[in-house]
Amino acid sequence: MDLTDKEYVQHCRDGHPDDFRLLVLRYQGPLFSYLMGRLGNRSQAEEAAQESFVRAFQSLKKLRKPELFYSWLLGIAGRVAKEQFRSWKRRQQDREVAETIMAKPADTLAEYPLDEAIAVLPETYRQVILLRYYEELSCLEVAQRLDMPLGTVTKTLSRAYTLLRQELQAREGADRTTNHTEHP
Amino acid sequence: MNCAECRDNLVACIEGLLDPEETLQCRAHLEACAACRAEHAAIAHLQHQLVERGQAAAHVSIVEPVMRRVRAVHEEPERNSIVSIILKHRWGLGLGATAGAVAVILITLASTPKVQAAAAVVMTRGAEAVANLSTIHIRGRLRTAPQDNFSYINPDFDFVTVEIWKQLQPELKWRVDKPGRSAVMDGQSTVLFIKPDFATKVGQPSSSAFDTQWLHEMADVSQTLNSELSASKLHGWPVTLAQEQGADGKPKSIVTVEAKSGLLAGDYLKNKFFGMADTRRVYVFDDQSQLLESVQVYLHADSGEKLIFELDQIDYNHPIDPSVFQLQLPVNVVWQQEMQLLPDNEKYAAMTPEQAARTFFEACGREDWAEAGKFCTMTSGLKEFLGGVQVVNIGNHFTSALTLIGGPLFVPYEIKLKGGYVKKFNLALKKDAKTGRWYVDGGI
Repeated sequence: MDLTDKEYVQHCRDGHPDDFRLLVLRYQGPLFSYLMGRLGNRSQAEEAAQESFVRAFQSLKKLRKPELFYSWLLGIAGRVAKEQFRSWKRRQQDREVAETIMAKPADTLAEYPLDEAIAVLPETYRQVILLRYYEELSCLEVAQRLDMPLGTVTKTLSRAYTLLRQELQAREGADRTTNHTEHP
Repeated sequence: MNCAECRDNLVACIEGLLDPEETLQCRAHLEACAACRAEHAAIAHLQHQLVERGQAAAHVSIVEPVMRRVRAVHEEPERNSIVSIILKHRWGLGLGATAGAVAVILITLASTPKVQAAAAVVMTRGAEAVANLSTIHIRGRLRTAPQDNFSYINPDFDFVTVEIWKQLQPELKWRVDKPGRSAVMDGQSTVLFIKPDFATKVGQPSSSAFDTQWLHEMADVSQTLNSELSASKLHGWPVTLAQEQGADGKPKSIVTVEAKSGLLAGDYLKNKFFGMADTRRVYVFDDQSQLLESVQVYLHADSGEKLIFELDQIDYNHPIDPSVFQLQLPVNVVWQQEMQLLPDNEKYAAMTPEQAARTFFEACGREDWAEAGKFCTMTSGLKEFLGGVQVVNIGNHFTSALTLIGGPLFVPYEIKLKGGYVKKFNLALKKDAKTGRWYVDGGI
């Protein structure tokens, strides 16, 4: 059975950096998906994802709640995306080139709340969602991977959907209330 | 099936995990119940979004590049690359105005005392960074002949892989490989092995040997750049520092050095060996990690500029298996013999280079290996190649600028091998200090 994020983080902190590979394997898909949504460019999203993981590794000792690794990683990725976007803007200005390559609007964050909703799921639920949708495993395969009954997988998925919908509704409500859009 | 049962089974139903009877009951309930239908639609919508997100991330594989950087971060001491230091100092150097992301910064080292002082800082810090390395492994590809000298280059040849492993601490050991030869310094002695059966040994440790110097310099990245910058200053070679966006979208710092061999255009050795070539050397650093990512060396050949060397892998501080520094030699290996005074040594010492070349080839033609061995250590491979050879012509010798400082001279020859193939080339000859006799230094 896979270890938890907290256990992997602890291993890395204990001088086993190669265990970070397992965290990268676990979260490369959703992190890339999130950055792809924000940056709108595959190669930039890949670069940002790499940079986010590396920065996360460098700051691992500062992570106070290792069980929230992915949520924390997503925060780092958000900052990397902002930096990359600003850097791109500067380069565009330097080159005096019209914004044609990355015609993605700056206010892309609000369009991708699902990734952040996944990040704040309790780990048990998030793990099942990631395996089902980002590793594209069937429910049966998820059950085998996590060594749990099939019925538990479907019930966990069901509960995860409920939590995700609640989180998305809460974010949507907050957005409407504040009329705020964060710019990367 | 009631609403509670339907919702309990909704995910299993959508996933097709219910048995046929339960599926029918679930669908029947959904048809009849608007609330459960809405719940079903909401889940289906969410699933659709999740599938899209998952598909967007399909085929993403950043594990290896991330782990390479993670290992570098974890294992490598903080490095102050020359580029990073130059960039840090660029404002003080008056380069700030051109420090935009795509600006090209031309650094002329001899321009001002301020620049020279910065260069000194760069060199000192570069040396410190090197002092902290424990191992380095570099792999690249070079246009050369697989068995020829380690520094031999030929723009018309295909690339072959060259590698260097270097252990700097606790004890210096190194190994350089190309397909046809290996050189190993195991801390005690230095051995060169040329496949299939020739070996020579220096009975002491060495920092480099057998024309591997250029690879050692490549392995010592900071020192190499220091040398490049020093040479640039001394010889007035142009050095440029550019910042560009790499193919991967990341900002790169690119140091380019236009190196000149100093040999005249007609010199026989010019552009034949790494250190005797006019080259453009391009060092590419990743701005974020500050790590050297690649090196390309282009030869300024008569036919135009051509890539002759490309470095494609650098590993810093990765443990090197001790077996790398243990050379496995075949049982029939022939060790190079130190030249000894002969009873009729004067006869050979009095030979002109042309006479020495002819005597050597004619001995090979007679398969008189004792005689041929007076000029060259004869391995089975050489015997096979030169046995029965006929001398067609021996020309007058010529020299290179390097002959004056201990390099060989060259005797043009034309020989017909026993298979009928006629070879025209130049035999490199050197004079042995102890015996005063000519010996073959290459060119077969």
